[in-house]
Amino acid sequence: MNISYLGAELFHRPRRSLAALLSMTIGVALLLSLQAYSNGYRLAARAPLAEIGSDIAAQRQGKVPQAFEGILFPHSTAPIHSDEISSIRRIPGVEDVGESVFFWDFEKNSFLVVLGLDPSSKTGPARLASAVLQGRFLRTGDHDVAVADATYARSNNLAVGSTVSIAGGLFKIVGFVDTSRIGQVANANLYIMVDDARAMANAAKNVMAVHDFRPSDANIIFIKANQAKVESVAKAVGSVLGSQALISSANSFSEVIGQAYGLVDRFSWLVGLAGFLVAVVGLVRSISSALRERRRDIGLMRAVGWSRGNVASQLTSEAISLAAAGAIAGLGLAVLVSRALSAMRVSIPIPWELSPTPHFLPGGAVPMAVTIFLPARIELLPAALSIGLSVLCGLVVGLWVSQRATHIRPAEVLRSE
Amino acid sequence: MNELLKCVDLHKSFGRVDVVRGVNLSLQTGSFSSIMGRSGSGKTTLLHLLSALEAPTSGSISFEGREIGSLNEDQLAMWRREHIGLVFQAFHLIPTLSALENVAFPLYPVRVSAEERSERARARLEQVGLGHRLEHRPSRLSGGEQQRVAIARALINHPTLILADEPTGNLDKKSGEDILDIFGRLNREEGVAVIVVTHDSEVAAVAQHSFTMVDGTLEDGNV
Repeated sequence: MNISYLGAELFHRPRRSLAALLSMTIGVALLLSLQAYSNGYRLAARAPLAEIGSDIAAQRQGKVPQAFEGILFPHSTAPIHSDEISSIRRIPGVEDVGESVFFWDFEKNSFLVVLGLDPSSKTGPARLASAVLQGRFLRTGDHDVAVADATYARSNNLAVGSTVSIAGGLFKIVGFVDTSRIGQVANANLYIMVDDARAMANAAKNVMAVHDFRPSDANIIFIKANQAKVESVAKAVGSVLGSQALISSANSFSEVIGQAYGLVDRFSWLVGLAGFLVAVVGLVRSISSALRERRRDIGLMRAVGWSRGNVASQLTSEAISLAAAGAIAGLGLAVLVSRALSAMRVSIPIPWELSPTPHFLPGGAVPMAVTIFLPARIELLPAALSIGLSVLCGLVVGLWVSQRATHIRPAEVLRSE
Repeated sequence: MNELLKCVDLHKSFGRVDVVRGVNLSLQTGSFSSIMGRSGSGKTTLLHLLSALEAPTSGSISFEGREIGSLNEDQLAMWRREHIGLVFQAFHLIPTLSALENVAFPLYPVRVSAEERSERARARLEQVGLGHRLEHRPSRLSGGEQQRVAIARALINHPTLILADEPTGNLDKKSGEDILDIFGRLNREEGVAVIVVTHDSEVAAVAQHSFTMVDGTLEDGNV
């Protein structure tokens, strides 16, 4: 292969080179952009849970409270017993479990959403520690203290150091957090220590009337799982919790994102590969038309002493160069497209079971959603695969063209007109 | 002088048409010959047989005592590269390459440094009077200049035999004379054997020996 001849052929026959280059560029860009779009939605679907460091939120449906007075569990948060939590911890692929106790507190003139959490846990709502706006977050050993959601605190004129009543018990506000910073999944008005929440739930007659809630139980758990096993873990957790289990994972969010995403997710590879195939057809057309144009040049190569291998190597190098250059340009274009896609804001609806507010309260029926920028990005593997595939196609097309070139008889094509 | 090329009872048929019929030819090293004939007489086909671009239907060709019929296609390509310089009526320059690159073209598959390749091509272009046109592409050269580039290309590997097919056929009288002058000088000064196929008697007159091709047969085949 001679590089200066290769360069001259590609440079001085711009229409042909550009046709092949453009076709590969568009094919690879389409393939990778669709992947970026689809991956973006997949990552977006993980975002609400990922923001609190977990992959799965597990709850269980239970009985509807008898009366909406004092502390009670929403019917989507029946107790999860400590032995069940232990079983879940032992499921292969489970890396960590964060335990929480979630309850509503209906008072005469007020309503509170409270979440009990373990601040030492790295999985679950303890991640709120990074969203403290004022004061401090909960600490291990705390008791009868609360952290308030900043919006709730503002609308109720709360200050750090003031006290708030939860079912008659007084809690000192030690800090404010911005819940919106870490998604809507662990949304509550007040955050307290999980042991305080357990004790209050145990003492609540409207909880104990319908639930067998024990001192070490939780009613919502957040699970961090091995990324390759998230869905199998979700299934196993569902088996542990039985038929009333409510398991939320990236898939649950994907399902509520809508049909458009489903179509993109299902057909992105297919459409991308179809586009890529059309690009390869473009490359074949361009290279084979070049062969027709260059019959005399190829005859001349043979006449002046190029072996068949020399000719094949030259033609194959040209095809590979065009395919590879097209793929690299396509990758560049796909990066630009993915950046444009990343500027798109997408709304990820929160499944009803993770919505913190009762639907019968004002604003409670409003669907909640997390709005984020679409995390569309080109991943290394599809990028490497598409470039590799392009080079392979260039090689195959080049070898095919070289094979055809061996049928060119120099004496025939060099005969004077 | 030694025998350079020898053909014995050479035949070439395309289908049922016998284009070359029983040609016997013996050429000496450093000779200058012409093959004349009308269009369709088989002279170009004979040139293609002599350069091994076509395989004879029967008969044999030996070069410097070596039978070339036994060589495979790649060996024949290498043989051409080492011994034969080809010049065509239509020049057949690569349109995307400069004059210098066109001349160096036969050296591309050879393990020669780019510098040496350029140097050799430059020297050959200067030899044919085109030292000032190194970077010009064929489209920017006149017909006579293009043919001179083609001759320089034919010379790049120091051939012992130049086979030229109607080399002045596409040129005006002055350019044609210049080309014949170059062939004459190469023959006299470098001892390169030349065979020119032509239908122009003035071209044939420059040669030391002239053959005539009539209906596939060669008249006066011994030199």
